[in-house]
Amino acid sequence: MSSATLENHSEKKAFLVKSSSLKEVRTFCRDVFEKLKIEQSLKDELVLAIAEAAQNIVKHAYKDNQDSNDIMVVKISCEDNKLQIAFYDMGTPVDPKKVKHREIDNIKPGGLGTFFIQEIMDAVEFKDGKRKPWINHLVLTKQL
Amino acid sequence: MSYKIETKDNTKIVHLDGEIDMEVADKARQTILPLIEAGHDVDLNLSKVTYMDSSGISVLIESKKLSEEKKTNFELKNVSEPVEKVLAMARKFL
Repeated sequence: MSSATLENHSEKKAFLVKSSSLKEVRTFCRDVFEKLKIEQSLKDELVLAIAEAAQNIVKHAYKDNQDSNDIMVVKISCEDNKLQIAFYDMGTPVDPKKVKHREIDNIKPGGLGTFFIQEIMDAVEFKDGKRKPWINHLVLTKQL
Repeated sequence: MSYKIETKDNTKIVHLDGEIDMEVADKARQTILPLIEAGHDVDLNLSKVTYMDSSGISVLIESKKLSEEKKTNFELKNVSEPVEKVLAMARKFL
């Protein structure tokens, strides 16, 4: 947790739901965190958590629709030193009960992304209530 | 991501460069796994890898498991700081 007070700020950007967009997602996040003057180590962790969440949209919400030209939106907001990152997509509805990382003794690859997100962020929440045209609305929060 | 492979005795030294994410993980997988499959020891030089996500870590896990099956050595060398941080988190999981 940082002792410095960060300026309130909010920014969002749309990306095509493609694995090739993940680099753009990371660049967007790094730019926003640069403006917020978040220190490098925390910035790296937050970028990883956001990139993993975006990757989950590509891998899971669009698992059966890889050729889609849909967009996803990433919105980063900082208010009173509370960072909130929202993701909106139009893919297959996510069942929050099925979103979990692998068991600790299962060393098969996969499921690590969700583990990283949970390790880095304070809260991971799938919001109820649809805001058209969006199907899924994920919110990650962290107190800075 | 770019890569270079050097040979020293039975060891293939694979140098990866750049960011390793879902987009390029298959390229990394297809570079490393056939070397292990062919019975080579593999040293993976990660000094120039500036970012790695869970897709990249999965490639490392698959490589390690395959090397155990094939009774070869698979080692990480010169792990960069960004990768070390992600590996540290992954080790809690593994």
